[in-house]
Parts: sequence; structure tokens; C-alpha cells
Amino acid sequence: MMRPVEVRKEETTLTQETLRDLEKKLSEIQIPISAELPAFTKDTIDISKLPVSYKTNTPKEEHLLQVADNFSRQYSHLCPDRVPLFLHPLNECEVPKFVSTTLRPTLMPYPELYNWDSCAQFVSDFLTMVPLPDPLKPPSHLYSSTTVLKYQKGNCFDFSTLLCSMLIGSGYDAYCVNGYGSLDLCHMDLTREVCPLTVKPKETIKSEEKVLPKKYTIRPPRDLCSRFEQEQEVKKQQEIRAQEKKQLREEEERLMEAEKAKPDALHGLRVHSWVLVLSGKREVPENFFIDAFTGHSYSTQDERFLGIESLWNHKNYWINMQDCWNCCKDLIFDLGDPVRWEYMLLGTDKSQLSLTEEDDSGINHDDDVENLGKEDEDKSFDMPHSWVEQIEISPEAFETRCPNGKKVIQYKRAKLEKWAPYLNSNGLVSRLTTYEDLECTNILEIKEWYQNREDMLELKHINKTTDLKTDYFKPGHPQALRVHSYKSMQPEMDRVIEFYETARVDGLIKREETARTMTEYYQGRPDFLSYRHANFGPRVKKLALSSAESNPRPIVKITERFFRNPAKPAEEDVAERVFLLAEERIQLRYHCRDDHITASKREFLRRTEVDSKGNKIIMTPDMCISFEVEPMEHTKKLLYQYEAMMHLKREEKLSRHQVWESELEVLEILKLREEEEAAHTLTISIYDTKRNEKSKEYREAMERVMHEEHLRQMETQLDYLAPFLAQLPPGEKLTRWQAVRLKDECLSDFKQRLINKANLIQARFEKETQELQKKQQWYQENQVTLTPEDEDLYLSYCSQAMFRIRILEQRLNRHKELAPLKYLALEEKLYKDPRLGELQKIFA
Amino acid sequence: MWEKMNRLCDLMEPRVMDDDMLKLAVGGQGPQEEAGQLAKQEGIVFKDVLSLQLDFRNILRIDNLWQFENLRKLQLDNNIIEKIEGLENLTHLVWLDLSFNNIETIEGLDTLVNLEDLSLFNNRISKIDSLDALVKLQVLSLGNNQIDNMMNIIYLRRFKCLRTLSLSGNPISEAEDYKMFICAYLPDLVYLDFRRIDDHTKELAEAKHQYSIDELKHQENLMQVQLEDEQARQEELEKHKTAFVEHLNGSFLFDSMYAEDSEGNKLSYLPGVSELLEAYKDKFVIICVNIFEYGLKQQEKRKTELDIFSECVHEAIQENQEQGKHKIAQFEEKHLSSLSAIREELELPNIEKKILECSADISELFNELMMLEMQLVEQLEETINMFERNIVDMVGLFIKNVRSLMAQCRDLENHHHEKLLEISISTLEKIVKGDLDEDLPDDLRALFVDKDMIVNAVGASHDIHLLKIDNREGELVTRIDSWCTHLVDKIHKDEIMRNRKRVKEINQYIDHMQSELDNLDYGDILD
Repeated sequence: MMRPVEVRKEETTLTQETLRDLEKKLSEIQIPISAELPAFTKDTIDISKLPVSYKTNTPKEEHLLQVADNFSRQYSHLCPDRVPLFLHPLNECEVPKFVSTTLRPTLMPYPELYNWDSCAQFVSDFLTMVPLPDPLKPPSHLYSSTTVLKYQKGNCFDFSTLLCSMLIGSGYDAYCVNGYGSLDLCHMDLTREVCPLTVKPKETIKSEEKVLPKKYTIRPPRDLCSRFEQEQEVKKQQEIRAQEKKQLREEEERLMEAEKAKPDALHGLRVHSWVLVLSGKREVPENFFIDAFTGHSYSTQDERFLGIESLWNHKNYWINMQDCWNCCKDLIFDLGDPVRWEYMLLGTDKSQLSLTEEDDSGINHDDDVENLGKEDEDKSFDMPHSWVEQIEISPEAFETRCPNGKKVIQYKRAKLEKWAPYLNSNGLVSRLTTYEDLECTNILEIKEWYQNREDMLELKHINKTTDLKTDYFKPGHPQALRVHSYKSMQPEMDRVIEFYETARVDGLIKREETARTMTEYYQGRPDFLSYRHANFGPRVKKLALSSAESNPRPIVKITERFFRNPAKPAEEDVAERVFLLAEERIQLRYHCRDDHITASKREFLRRTEVDSKGNKIIMTPDMCISFEVEPMEHTKKLLYQYEAMMHLKREEKLSRHQVWESELEVLEILKLREEEEAAHTLTISIYDTKRNEKSKEYREAMERVMHEEHLRQMETQLDYLAPFLAQLPPGEKLTRWQAVRLKDECLSDFKQRLINKANLIQARFEKETQELQKKQQWYQENQVTLTPEDEDLYLSYCSQAMFRIRILEQRLNRHKELAPLKYLALEEKLYKDPRLGELQKIFA
Repeated sequence: MWEKMNRLCDLMEPRVMDDDMLKLAVGGQGPQEEAGQLAKQEGIVFKDVLSLQLDFRNILRIDNLWQFENLRKLQLDNNIIEKIEGLENLTHLVWLDLSFNNIETIEGLDTLVNLEDLSLFNNRISKIDSLDALVKLQVLSLGNNQIDNMMNIIYLRRFKCLRTLSLSGNPISEAEDYKMFICAYLPDLVYLDFRRIDDHTKELAEAKHQYSIDELKHQENLMQVQLEDEQARQEELEKHKTAFVEHLNGSFLFDSMYAEDSEGNKLSYLPGVSELLEAYKDKFVIICVNIFEYGLKQQEKRKTELDIFSECVHEAIQENQEQGKHKIAQFEEKHLSSLSAIREELELPNIEKKILECSADISELFNELMMLEMQLVEQLEETINMFERNIVDMVGLFIKNVRSLMAQCRDLENHHHEKLLEISISTLEKIVKGDLDEDLPDDLRALFVDKDMIVNAVGASHDIHLLKIDNREGELVTRIDSWCTHLVDKIHKDEIMRNRKRVKEINQYIDHMQSELDNLDYGDILD
């Protein structure tokens, strides 16, 4: 079995010794890097709270380990040149566990984690990467996924185990792979990768369906150009293009050279673990790899994956018997083929190639490896259940995702930062910075994504080269903004604002502004207006006031275009009208009729002149120049033209007003945007019970009320018998005699209490009466000398005392009435008390 | 008091609706102020007037209104008109007021299909009718008249848009049931005698007259269904007619052969002939049905052919138009800028040079547009010729096949004729021998006098049959031929028309551009 190791050996002609030497040296070099990264060793793990299955092995597991050991022995005997198998590393409690049982297939309760891509992305976000202690060997320990999730860090084996558990749980045919990867892969180094967010989705070139020429399609006019000349031209063009292409290629090559990684001395020896997903289940069309570190998927042909040693899922373990001299490109992932994949347990599943098993004798292979281990195995033996606890991710952890809710990924010429929602007060959730150079010094553009913003801001795009800022909004902004791109927040500068036109009454889609123009695009208006363009002249200087509102720029020209109004005939439906305000000229262009190529035009020159006699000229033929495609009778009339002009004058006024209002609106939007940027409040869904303060308060209040209610109920169900039962030895059944005694005691006690209460009320009543009498006496004695204030005081005291006496009297009477009833009720209750069941028996 | 007297005097003297009166009215009611001055200056053409008021003028006879073609609103109230007439040309009329006149019958409104509001208040009308044409009627005012029969209301059910009706001051409004009756029979009515009908009244009225209304509705529905059936049948027949094979989907032709054939009918009583006839009819009908189905299929084919053709032609024209529009737009852009350049230019020689350039541009545009048009004409001609060839071939094939099927019919007839002759002669022989068993009808027996007579009779029947078949065939062939020629002619004519229109349009546009340029030239020289 050729392994990449040997490939390297051949290439560099290193002896085993020098290789070992190099390994040693290199592992020394590795140390500072691993020291930098957070260590994840056994000492930091609290194993005291882990369940029993983590600390011991069941008999079945023991049996499995024996089988595995046997398998491993035979394997090393038959393939002495291959590295030992990664079969049963120790877990966090130093107990050897078979790798397949470490997989715990789990379907996560979050719908977002149902598909492989989101799942992989989650694993890569959630865990922090720790490099392998020895980059050339599989780790000695493989921790359970629960522990890994708890500490949010792990090596590639931890990553792929967790991801594989989740993928198998959601129904994928996924496998953990133990193999060899490139340096970048093993160190989660993405600096040579293009950021997936910067890759523009390839525009799917719609191949225009070649319409079959219909029977009567007209023939194109005869081409009178010289074909020879055309050919010459094409040749010339091709030459130029070829040259350009060549230059481009050279340029590219140069760039590639610069970007290319330094050759890795340990190429092909670095152990890595990733996930293989086979086609078939969950509509996966073809096999692919997922690197759990980055969450990216790769084709099985990818050259970063240099070889596979073995792979496993929760049911079985397979060893790769194929040659990996050409990375993984030639591997065939048919796990049912025992020639290519040596399985450990028989008959668990995977017999895609069932025919080879039947035809075993028919195919003569020199390798006896294929029969390895089979005889010894108990045919019915299957994988024991996983020892790992159920994998659980709390909603908080799921939302926070990255450790501490923050993650930075460095790509080639790009940096991606991620934050958990609500972590930043302005709602920022991710930022992508694109750089011009490989060293990441010159920023090209910045893209910032926001979530839960009250102003519905979704994405902010800043182009550093042009200094153009573009804000993208989700539907729901108070001004129905969709996109706002600008260079400065000052009014009357270059800016484009796009709107959600359905949310606007006036159907405005887009408003473009430059220093001297404003263009608006409309859609779906009842007056069919589609476009309005206003040109402004330089502002007339005023001394006192110079703010934009009080001194609007003079409008020079307004152009308005209209869609076709199907209710009107084309020659009466205006397509475009231009108000040249400075020249007092109005130009109209009408729509073109379906069967015409020219459109009617009309131009009004609005001069108020006076004729030779001093009379005002109302209308003369030269004030209206018109061209009509089909000359009409009534439009020649001056009266018609006059009325049309009057109408246009009114319209002009309206349009001017509209332009002015649009300017005001822009000011308003800018003001609002500034306020929103300053406040950047976030919305909290009413379903978000954790963050929504109001609902939290309400819920807490409700809980408090519930609690009080509960306490009150407890009180009413006060146990009368408890103090008496306490005198008796606990846990013994009452005899009849004891029960009777208990009942009598309880009743007499209650009776006493009722009497006491009555006495108490009586005593208070008497005390109150006495005091009143005393006071009255005192009053009568000193009546003469008393001031009016004292008298008032006395009178108020009297009325209060009388009230108290009356109440006490009422209570006493009521108590007298209710006491016998209460007594009877208690007696009844005691009869029914199950603890005094003896009594009932007798009486029943 | 004096005024009243005066008016009474006026009443005695009817006035004539002459030109002066109309001009005065139009002038007085036309535009005012500045626009009025213009109107006066230019004069108003009656055709442009939209609204006319002619009240309190003692008009006896409506006249001279034929010029007001576009009139929307006409008020002729408070006159002494006795007859509705002279309104035939006012087809755009929406609003007609004839109240306070002396009209006795409703008439002369059959062309006013756009009328929505009709007032005949305070007249002498006793019966509602002759309003069938007014399908858009919404408001009908017939108060203070002499309508005395409730059944007039049922007539109003046909106006689906009628919402307002006034009938107060008529004898029927005295009736106890008046309001209920109207509400019940006109459920869509909203206002009656200027009052809104509340829902409660409507319900009550409906409940009260439910039985009779249901019956009425049932009858109306029946009528409707009948009408629809008739229409559907008509449509089906029309479809067959366009395929030129109407009535061939059954025994219609066969029956018509025997309809005028008295001898044939008589002969059918001969022994054995009825069976023969039965078999003959079956075979004949099968061939007819074959022709019918073949005809429909061919019609479908011709239709698709024509559709493809018109689609292609339409596409070609559209594309050509787009090119033309594009050219014009390009030109206009350039032209505008050069015009303004000319305006700004100060030196005369430069102006002249630029003007020359401009007119060169215009003539170039003309050439380009004409070139496009000529190109299209050529292309279309080719296509049209191809289509013509195909459609003529198609028709020829159809005729040929129909002829061969018809020949089969004739063969059948010949065969039948021979058989019949045989039977007839044998029967004659039997009769001569006197050993005929069956009884023959008297008129049939009358034929069997001698051999010539019977042969003649059978021959006459045969001739009639052949004639019928020939006629049907001839009709089919002539009709399809004429259809074909018409179609081809129309296509050619349309194309010529299109071409002329386009050339005219281009010329007009170019002329306009040139004259604009010339005017500019002239104006500048003046300056």
C-alpha cells in the first residue's frame, strides 16, 4: 500500500533516519505555535460530573475493543509498512473508546441545522481550532462531543466527530476520515483562499432559445459586404485578442507565483481529519468532502486532501486499501468493495457491491489482506451504542455561535469578522474587508451586514477607492428606502436613492441627484408618469437667508415622460413634455401609433406680447408649432391651442411644485437617516423572550402572581392534623384508638381556638367601650374650658371609636354564627381524611 | 304680471330653430373671456360643440341639429315640442332634456345608443316604449305624464343600468300598490321619485310580489336559454360555412335529392326498393360525412397557414418600424443639437454652412427611411407570393379531393339507378303478366303503363339527383375559389395601402423638418 509518505520518500530520497530526524526538528518548531493557541488538555476538563458510560466500558464495548485489537494486530502483520490504525483512542476519562462509538448521531432541534452546509458552518463557527499535539500522528485522546461543545474548542478529529454526528443525525451518509491534508488545511489557514463572499455568482448565460424560423419569416436583406474583408478583419481581431490573452495569462502566472505557498517540508505527512459525505441519501448527487475546520465543501478530487488512512461512521470502520499517490483523486468510494475498503465488522451495512462478496472466490487476488479478520469475527456482532451523552446545544449558545460571539477569519485579500446578533449595539453582525494587496494593508472596500435594526438597514457597502457608500435596506423603512448610495450626507450632492415603490403612494422607484440635476423614475401611477428630470441653475445669492429650504435653486428645465395610456389614442397621449422655464417654451412629444414610425410634436412659445394697438395678444399661430402625423381639423384652431397652453401652464406649476417637494423630501430623508445612524436602535421580536424587556417584566409579574396564588392555596389547605400527627411515631399506621384520640384532640383544640378568638374579640370590644366611656366622662368634666379644636378632636375620636365598637360587635356576632359551622366542617373533613381511615372503616 | 302675459303671448307664436338662433345660443354658451375672444375671432363650428341649451324658446319643431355631431348634452325643455324628431345624427348624446313640452309618444330615439339620462317630465305620454336602443340608460324621468298601466313597468326591466326613475304625477302613481310594484319588478333601482329606496322596502316588495316575479324570471330565463341555443347553432353553422361544407354532416344532401323528386318517391314503394334505398342512403351519408370532416380539417390547416403568415408579416413590419424609429430618434438627437448650434452661431457664412449640413442630414434620413421601406416591400412581396402559391395549392388540392368524393356519390347514384331500373322493368313485366302479388299505390301503378314511361320516370329521378349533387359540388368550388381570390387580393391591397401610408408619413416628416429648417433660416435673416 503506497502512502504519501512513501511518495515523498521516493521524491526526496530521504532515508528513514533523516526523515525521523527532520520530524523531530520540525515538531520542535511547531511548539511555539501550539503554545500560542489555547491548549486543550485533559487537565482543564472537569471529569467529575461526567456520567458512568464515560468512565467505564460495558462488556459489549470490551468485546469490541478486543475485536479491534485483533483486527489491528492482523493488519499490522499483513501491512507492516503502514502506520498503526486509529481505532480506540482514550477519552477524557482515560478510557479507551472505539471511534465509531464516539459518534453520536443527533438530529438538532434547529431547522437551520438540517442541511449539511449550515451544519458545517455552525461547527466551524462554534468551535475554536486547536492544532494536533503531534502534527504527524493522530491524537492519543478523542473527547466526546459533549465535552468539546462545552469547552468550545477541539482539534480536527473533534471537529469532524461532532460534524459527522450531526450529519448522520440529519440523515446524511457521512463518515469521519482519518487522513493526510495540506498545511493550510491542517492549520485552518485560509489566507490563500478566496473569500466565498467576494466571489461573484457566475451569471448564468441564458442561451437564447434559437427560434426556428417560421414558414413565412422574411428573408434578411442581401449582405453586400465583402466576405474577404470581413475575414481579414476577423483575423486581425483574433491576433490582437490572442496577444491580449497572452499578456493576461502572463500577468496571472506572475500573480499565482507570488501567491503560491512556500513548499512544505512535511507535505503529505500531516495528519488531518475531515468528513466524507457519500451520495445517495438526502438527495446528495455526488460524493464530497467537508473540512470541519472551515465548513467548506470540497470535491473529492481536491488536491489539498492528500490521502486517506481509514474512515468510520457510527456502524463500522473501513481501512483504505487503495493507493494515494495521486492524492485522493483516484479513490473510489465504494465501501462495499472489500478489495478497496477493508471493513472491520461484517454485515453491519454497506454492501453496495454485494456481488463481489458473493463472487469472492471467483476473483483471484494476490492480496490476502481482504480476508483479514473476517474469520474471527462474530458474524452477528454489531456496533454497541454510543457512550456519548445526547449532544445538546442551548438556544443561547446556538445564537451566540462563535466563542464569545466573535470570530475573525483571514482570507486571501479579505478579512471576515462575525459577531453574534445583539452583541454590537448598532446591530453589526458581520464585516467583510477586502484588500488590494496580499499583505492586507490597502483597503478596497468594506461590507457590513446588520441585523435587527429598527431602520431596516441590512448592508452597508463602502467603496474606499471611489468613496461611495451604499446602504441597503429591507422592506419596512418609514421612508420606504431600498438603496441609498452617496458620497456625502450633504444635500445637493451626487446620490441615488431607490425605494420600495409599492410602499409609496406616488410610485417612486428611484431618485438620482447630482449637483445640478434631479431625476426621478416612477412606476404604476394613474397619470402614467414614468420619469421626471429637473435641471437647476446656479443659486441666486441672497444676503440674509442662504439655507436650502428658504432659497431653492431656480429650475431651468423639467422633462417629464409618460407611459402609454391605453385609454387615449396615441396622437393625443403625451409621451414627453419639456418645460423650458427660462425660455418660456413648452415642448410636447406624443406617443407613436402602432403602425407609424414618427410621432406628433407640438411646441408652445409662451410670449405675452402686445400688438401695435396696445391690445394684449392672446394667441397667434406662431405661438404653437405643431407637427402632426395625421393632420387633424380641430387642433388647428387657436382656441384649442390656447386651451392646451393654459392647461400646460397649470401643469408646469404643478411640476415645479413637485420638484420642490422632492427636494424637501430628500432633505427630510437625510435628516432622518442621520438621526437613525445616531440612535441605531435595535428591534426585538415579541417572540424573543430573553431580550424583550417588556414581555420579560410582564412574564415575571405573572410568575409572581402565580406564586402568590400558590402560597395562598397552600395556606387554605393547612393541615390541621399535622401537629398532632407529629406527636406520634412516624411511618406507622394509626390504630383505631389512636385515630379516635387524634380526632378528639384535634376537635377540642379547634374548639378551644374558636373560644379563644371569641374571647379576644370580646376583650377588645370591652376595652374599646371602656375607653370611650372614659373619654366621654373627661369631656363632660372639661366641657367648659375646651377650645373648639379640642372639641373637634374629641368628636372625631368619638365617631371613630363608635365605628370600631360597631365593627367589633359585628365580628363577634358573625363569629358566634360561623363557629359551630366551622366546627362541623372540620369534623367532616377529619372523617374524610385518609390518614384517619380507621375511623371511616368503623363508621362505614 | 306683465311678464307672464308676455310669455303667454309667446306661447302662441312658435319659433323656428334656424341657423341664427343656433349660432346665438352656441356663441352665448361657448368659452368666455380670453378664450371667448379667440372663439369669436375664429368662429365656432357646430361640430365641435359638446353642450347646447335651448330652453324657453317656444320651439315647436326640432330642426337643423344635424350638424351637432359630437353633442353630449342637449336641453330642449320648456318649449312646445310635440314630436321627437331630428335627433338621428346626435349619436354621441348622453344627456337629453325634453321636459315641459307637449310630446305624446316616445319615438325617434333609436339612434341615441349612448344616452344615459333622459328627461320627459311634464309631457303627455301615455305609454313607455320605443326605448329599446338606449342600453346605457341610467336616469329616466317620466313624471307628470299620463301613464296609466302598470305593465309599462315591466318594459323597463330590460334596462340593466337604470338606477333612477321618476313616475310621480302619473295615473299609475295613484295606485295603492305603486311603490311596491316598482320596487319588486325593478330590483336594481336605487332612486324612485327622487327618494332613495331603503332595503327594508325592497325586501317587503320582493316578498309581496315574489310569486309573479319568479314566474316572470322563469320565462325570461327560458327565453334567454333559447336565444343562446339559437346563437350556438348559428355559430356552428357559420363555422361549417367558412369550411364550405355546411349541411354535409348528415343526410341533408340526400334528403334534398328526394325533396323535389316526385317520381323517385313514388318508385320507392316498389317491392325491394325501400331496402335498396336504405343501403344507398347509408353509403351516401358516409361519403358526405367524409367530405365534411375533410373540409373541417382543411379549413383548420388553411387557418393555421394564414395565422403563421400574418404573424410573420406582422413581426417583419414591427422590426422594420423599430429600425425606423431608432433612425429617427438618432437623427432627432443630432438635429436638435445642430439647430441650437445654428441659433447660437453669429456669423452668416457659418450659419449657411451649418444649415446646408442640416439639410444634408435630413435628406440622408429620408434616403435611409425610404431604403428601409423599399427593403421591406421587397421582402414582403416575396413572402406574400409564397403564401399565395401555397394557399392556392391548398385550395386546389381540397377541390380535387372533394371532386373525387363527389364522384363516388355519383357512382352510387348510377348504381342505384341501374338497380332501380332493373326492379322497375321486372315489376313492369310482372304487371304485364299479371302475376304481381303486392298492391301498388295508384299513382305508382299509373307509371307502369309501358316501358318508355317507366324508364322515363326512373331517368327523371336520376337526373334530378345528379343535378343536386352537381349543384352542391359547384357551389362548394365557386365559394372556395372566390374566398381564395378575395383573401389574396386583400393581402395585396393591404400591403399596398401600408406602403403608401408609410411613404406618405416619411415624406410628411421630412417636409416638416425641412420647413422647420427653412423657417429658422428665414427668421435669422430677418433678425
